[in-house]
Amino acid sequence: MTSPPVTGPAVAPRHRGGPGPARFRPRRTPPAGTARRARRGVLAHWRQYLAISPFFLIFGAFSFFPVFYSLYLAFQRWDGMGTMQFVGLDQFRFLLDDPVFWMSIRNTLAIWVLSTVPTLFGALVLATLLHSVRRFKGFYRIALYIPNVTSIVAVAIFFGAVFSNNFGLVNAILGTVGIPPVPWLSNPWLIKLVIALLMTWMWTGYNMIIYLAGLQAIPTQIYEAAKLDGAGPVRTFFQITVPIMRPIILFTVVISTINGLQSFSEPQVLFGSNAANPNLGGPGQAGLTTLLYFYQSAFVNNDYGYGAAIVWAFFVLILVLVVVNWRLVQRGRKS
Amino acid sequence: MDLSRRRFLQAAAFTAAASGLTVACGNGSGSAGGKNGKSLTLWYWGGALSDKVVAEAKTHFGKDVKLTVASIGGDFKSKLTTTLAAGTSVPDITGIKGEDMASFLPNANRFLDLNELGFKEVSSKYLDWKTKLARTEDGKQIGFPIDIGPTALFFRADRFDKAGLPTDPDKVAAEAGTWEDYFALGVELRKKVPGTYLINNISSVFNIAVGQGTERFIDRDNRFIGDQDHIRKAWTTAIRPYTLGIDAKINDNTWNAAVGKSLNTELGAAWHALDIEQAAPGTKGKWRVCATPGGPANQGGSYLALPKQCRNPEEAFKIISWILSPENDARGFTDAAIFPAAPAAYSMPAMTGGDPFFGGQKVIEVFGPAAKAIPASYEAPADAAVMAPYMTALTSIEAKGRNPDDAWKDAVGQARQIARRQGVK
Repeated sequence: MTSPPVTGPAVAPRHRGGPGPARFRPRRTPPAGTARRARRGVLAHWRQYLAISPFFLIFGAFSFFPVFYSLYLAFQRWDGMGTMQFVGLDQFRFLLDDPVFWMSIRNTLAIWVLSTVPTLFGALVLATLLHSVRRFKGFYRIALYIPNVTSIVAVAIFFGAVFSNNFGLVNAILGTVGIPPVPWLSNPWLIKLVIALLMTWMWTGYNMIIYLAGLQAIPTQIYEAAKLDGAGPVRTFFQITVPIMRPIILFTVVISTINGLQSFSEPQVLFGSNAANPNLGGPGQAGLTTLLYFYQSAFVNNDYGYGAAIVWAFFVLILVLVVVNWRLVQRGRKS
Repeated sequence: MDLSRRRFLQAAAFTAAASGLTVACGNGSGSAGGKNGKSLTLWYWGGALSDKVVAEAKTHFGKDVKLTVASIGGDFKSKLTTTLAAGTSVPDITGIKGEDMASFLPNANRFLDLNELGFKEVSSKYLDWKTKLARTEDGKQIGFPIDIGPTALFFRADRFDKAGLPTDPDKVAAEAGTWEDYFALGVELRKKVPGTYLINNISSVFNIAVGQGTERFIDRDNRFIGDQDHIRKAWTTAIRPYTLGIDAKINDNTWNAAVGKSLNTELGAAWHALDIEQAAPGTKGKWRVCATPGGPANQGGSYLALPKQCRNPEEAFKIISWILSPENDARGFTDAAIFPAAPAAYSMPAMTGGDPFFGGQKVIEVFGPAAKAIPASYEAPADAAVMAPYMTALTSIEAKGRNPDDAWKDAVGQARQIARRQGVK
């Protein structure tokens, strides 16, 4: 981006003490001069700053401030209304011996792996297929993207009905083939599988569109050259498509890590009708993700300090995972 | 971009300070305004009050104040909590759900003491145990009871008949006087009508069994008592139907499909009748109601409260005492199945009629005495949070076949930890 024109001829005469003509700029500007110049720079561009300010004001009030406020809350005990009580590191100490917290981390990671791997792999395969399709391109793209723009709540309710233990569609179909009903929504691993399936269904199309855009940017000559050299479609995929797409794959991996670890609505809606414990992630808490546990602690139990501690501990975990992922995908790039 | 890091940090710090300032200002302006405002807002949620009565209240008090009504959807408690914490746009009158009342009591200073506004004079018209649950230890009354949820046993008379068991509510109540007798009936029913269950899940039994006692999970001295005999007894009661094989183990929305088919009985509050009716309209006339085995308990039932920012406390109190007068309370029962907290309503024609869904049975004859017999218990602010692990453990017994003794140990351990986190000794 170009730097803003700071001094114009019109303002130059006001530069009292300045060394004369505007075009002449000394190597060392006196400190007072820099400060003034900077302020004038902001003022001169007030229209532009005003134009972009709504985002930053809203971001500041509704994202930036709450984020740091929650860090402050993590060291307090607060029920949301009464007086706060400083408790030091107590909340984090509670976290360490809270088996439910660690279980929620395990659940989240399991659901994340179960959903991200098939999502990204499926998206890449689908994108490659779609890239070579000749007819009905628009139809396929829309059809595969629609799940992503469908409301999560609607999808979760739908999945809940389809996989219902007693009267679900899947079990009904299995029943006609003579397979006994499968406890989709009560077995701890099947619960995770259903949630992961739901997320896969929702996010494959999104990643596919990104991959498709990447694929279209690869010059066809490379493929032609590969074909001439006798590479089959599988080899072309792994030796040409995947390496060229690496930066795009990296982007989707990071985004999917962030999204996948934040699963909340899926288990919340799927098990929201559990009358005894609407916010605890279903039977055996197998669908209790960390964010759901945070929600339950803060907004159901009114324990805002503990909730804040949960999300900050979780933030550290996400950060670690994103870095690990980054390095994994980057590895071998230079070789 | 030639935005230097320093300037970015300056801007960020400024933004943070500015938003902090906004919040601080928000806190200050809330209490402004006189105490004889001409417009009042009322917050409640769909089904909390009879819409007809509320609409009439608007016109009835129209000449003195303008009453604006907002039906708040979603998570009512957290919306109310954040609004009260922010201190602006606080409603003048608000509903509070019964299960949330305990968590609002430690912040009683956010509400007006209704006793000072005249609740003392009318309090005898309302059930004492319900009123007590919205009173602080030092006698401040923050909630005006709207309704209660006395429990009962709903049963399929046709199935009972088929199994050769009595179908008359009084006789069933006598046969199922204790939990053990009730479960024995269930075993009998299952033998005679295969493929049916007595109860939908064991956490519902636990919930009611705990509610039948006067002590819950935390005592008045703020000590954790969730590991003691009264809870253990409720737990053992809940496990029984599971070991006897008369538990349908339904913990999801398939209850809707099961209620008309495989379930022989339902344990629930008065409002639960509406759930059954909606889920299984085809079973109309086949159900009856009788007293809960082991005595009545309460589930749900809400309050109206006046936040301290209320712009016209006198008038607001007049409005709520009008809306919740026994006469209007009785109408709430006809309009929205809200079971009144005022016993005088129980003998009014609106409530003494027969219910066609229950074969014309006069259900008030079951719920009325139950309402009056509910034990007054102490519910600590952290009670609901501390109870959750027990429910989870019971569900894991049903879903994963977890050993009940191990589940008990898990539940007590987790409950104790949650209690400690919330400042319970």
